[in-house]
Amino acid sequence: MTLSKVPVPVNLDTVANNLADPVFIVNRDKEIAWLNKKATDLFYTSDEEARGAVITELTGITKLDTLLDDVFEQEAKLKCSYEEASVKVKRQDQRYFFKIAINPIIHEGELWGGLVQFTDVTRFHEMEKIKTDFVSIVSHEFRTPLTTIIVGVEMLKEGMLGDLTPRGKEVLEAIGADCERLSRLIDNLMELSRIESGTIYVEAEPADVTDLVQEAVRPLKFQAEKQGIELITDIAPNLPPVAADFNKAVWVMANLVGNAMRYTDPGGTITVRVRQRGKRLFFSVEDTGCGIPKEHQEKIFRKYVQVSGPGRKGTGGVGLGLAIAKDIVMAHGGEIWVDSEVGKGTTFTFTFPVYYGDESVKLPDSEPDGGK
Amino acid sequence: MPKKILIAEDEKNVILGVRTCLDAVGYQMEIVEDGEQALDAVRKDPPDLILLDLLMPNVDGFEVLKVVKGNDETRHIPIVVLTAKAEEEDRQRALDLGADDYMTKPFKPQELWDRLKKHLPEHDA
Repeated sequence: MTLSKVPVPVNLDTVANNLADPVFIVNRDKEIAWLNKKATDLFYTSDEEARGAVITELTGITKLDTLLDDVFEQEAKLKCSYEEASVKVKRQDQRYFFKIAINPIIHEGELWGGLVQFTDVTRFHEMEKIKTDFVSIVSHEFRTPLTTIIVGVEMLKEGMLGDLTPRGKEVLEAIGADCERLSRLIDNLMELSRIESGTIYVEAEPADVTDLVQEAVRPLKFQAEKQGIELITDIAPNLPPVAADFNKAVWVMANLVGNAMRYTDPGGTITVRVRQRGKRLFFSVEDTGCGIPKEHQEKIFRKYVQVSGPGRKGTGGVGLGLAIAKDIVMAHGGEIWVDSEVGKGTTFTFTFPVYYGDESVKLPDSEPDGGK
Repeated sequence: MPKKILIAEDEKNVILGVRTCLDAVGYQMEIVEDGEQALDAVRKDPPDLILLDLLMPNVDGFEVLKVVKGNDETRHIPIVVLTAKAEEEDRQRALDLGADDYMTKPFKPQELWDRLKKHLPEHDA
């Protein structure tokens, strides 16, 4: 097939001026060489006033300075810098949120400047806020009735409200287990909602590795014993602290051990191991469970994905735990992955950076950068 | 002499659950259903501990915390917050206002007994 040349009846300035989002072209000194109409409208400027002005000064978005530096410094790679964080622009009491993409502009083989594109994500932000609020309200509304059910079930189970028949006890055990499941679901939904809305607050501080592992494992030991599973911790001596939000790191570890317990048969073993390699600590949870088929291994970190082990039905999860664990680990600048062989067992490993001081870990902004 | 706990909670079913739990271990209880009544009860007959919900009509739990912990005569009374508000910022706000403990709903009776025992160690029920 031959492509014919189609004549364009308008010039490209007209096209650019009709784009829904603001676009700038800046030189290496970050001075504006060109901007489209949407940009002049949004920043209450004129073409004349804007040209030659430094983009950070005109827009008031200080973050642009670092973003442009990033692109200009990696000139050789010719890589586009795509900033996930949004920015606020306050004009006439309105708040806008943008994602910013910067592409390097090469002229005669040399880096000349950059193309700065804003994408308006204000509506997306509003929807996220509505979703987070909704999850929060639903979670709150579920917790209160669950309290009555759980307290009642526990008191009945303990025989504090009279004797029960063996069948009655069995039914109560089932109700209790499902209440736990609902309770876990509510916690997970809230955590996920926070992470997705960008409001997750990851406060990385030096965290002692033994404390972290013990805190995660201690509440699960009794359950493991009850299931006939041996729970072993193997922490290398003299490990440095990790840069981690202690509670969130404990949550990740407890979630992985809890998963391992659900997929390991009586007589099996779960080993929690911590080792150092370079500037990272490797935390692994190894079980002798049924294993995860190769084709499922890639998708298990996605939301709402549940994988039944070979010969097993679902285990009562909703498929959020690993998605949240991944988000938490990545927010710390770490990685998480799985190695598994059907019939032999599974090892989940995640890394956290060693704590060397404040600069050892780069965390995402807890608040979007302000316009100024 | 059994210790007296003031329960400030507006959900009738939760009150039933908490009362059943505390009855089982012999605490004395006074139950109020909003923050205003809670502050009145503290003024009239200070309890040994307050089990405090945060979301209540009229005066909410945060306000109760502010008043009780801001008063020299009542700030020694331990306050255990028992709430459905699980957000970290609520927990932090309550602790900053002087809450001695923060429990989120749902909870198991054993957890509640453990927390109360921690703040009322000499309970001899």
